[in-house]
Amino acid sequence: MYNVAEVNAEACVAQKGCRLCIMYCPEANCIQLDSQKMKAVIVESRCKGCELCVVVCDAAKHNAIKMVAR
Amino acid sequence: MANRIQINKEFVDIMPQDYLDLVESGTFESPNRGWKDFGTATELIAEHSLCAGCPESIAFRHIMASIPNPEDTVMVGSTGCTSLVFPMIAVHNIHSLFGNQNAIATGLKRALAVRFPDRIKDVIVLAGDGATVDIGLDMTLQSWFRKERFTTICFDNELYANTGGQESGLMQKGFLAKMAPVGKRFDKVRLPEIARESGCDYVAIMTASKPSLVEKVIKQAVLIAREVGPTYIQIYTPCILEIGKQSMEGLQEMRTSEAPGERFKFREFISPEAQSFLDGLAEKKKAEKIAATT
Repeated sequence: MYNVAEVNAEACVAQKGCRLCIMYCPEANCIQLDSQKMKAVIVESRCKGCELCVVVCDAAKHNAIKMVAR
Repeated sequence: MANRIQINKEFVDIMPQDYLDLVESGTFESPNRGWKDFGTATELIAEHSLCAGCPESIAFRHIMASIPNPEDTVMVGSTGCTSLVFPMIAVHNIHSLFGNQNAIATGLKRALAVRFPDRIKDVIVLAGDGATVDIGLDMTLQSWFRKERFTTICFDNELYANTGGQESGLMQKGFLAKMAPVGKRFDKVRLPEIARESGCDYVAIMTASKPSLVEKVIKQAVLIAREVGPTYIQIYTPCILEIGKQSMEGLQEMRTSEAPGERFKFREFISPEAQSFLDGLAEKKKAEKIAATT
């Protein structure tokens, strides 16, 4: 079992300019911005499951990312 | 020279997708590179083998997004965790013998100046605290004494993380590590002050917790190194394994260490020559902005 991050698109506020998870993810090209829907998208094959994105998202009270088992 | 980064049409069908992405949506030759490209453009760093949540990889991402002209930059690395990342970056780089990264950068910078007299070539040294302060201190200091024009970046994790946690010169006094059970008896080496006294024109000490600040400092350091003299940046990238933190706690650790009065509170030193150079740049930018609006 391997934990990866998952974005809840309804709770994500990337359309308002939030880039917290994209900024602080330690992996390059791992969290991308869907430029049509303006939501953060996780590239699961690159995610190492460190939960930093969950920490920064929760700290900003958006609570849009959670870890799921794969 | 526009569009220098291209792909040979004969090879398009056999190149890996990552490579094609880099050529198509990488940020080469973009005048306003920065962390704002994250998420939409392909980054110049690919899947590396650092630990999950490693703050060093956050710093590495921010640095790779900020260097002003990556297509004309050569980076010099050294042994340590950074050497796990260097094979994965899309910038020319040299892996030096442990400690002599600044000596190699010196020769490289001089050779590039002879070989490409009319092109800007940046050299950036990126090494850990063991290579910069302990094993390579001689080469580091001598390059500053000679006023060699390149940027030295030190990833300070305050111990030898790659080999299990031995004591390093930048470790704080009294710190207990896995392979240093007695605790350090001496103070942390004050390399930023030494750098200032040794002839560096720009010195900064910081953590990697603010991408915009990292971007500003890296750009200033590289531009000053290009025109004025040597520059030194010390970035705190804690090793979460060796200080006993979880993967998601690295960011908080950096934020705690940069609070007022803490050892990594942001400080910078700019020499008068470098300051007048920066003022000149700011004025130029302002004039361009006014010209663009009118």
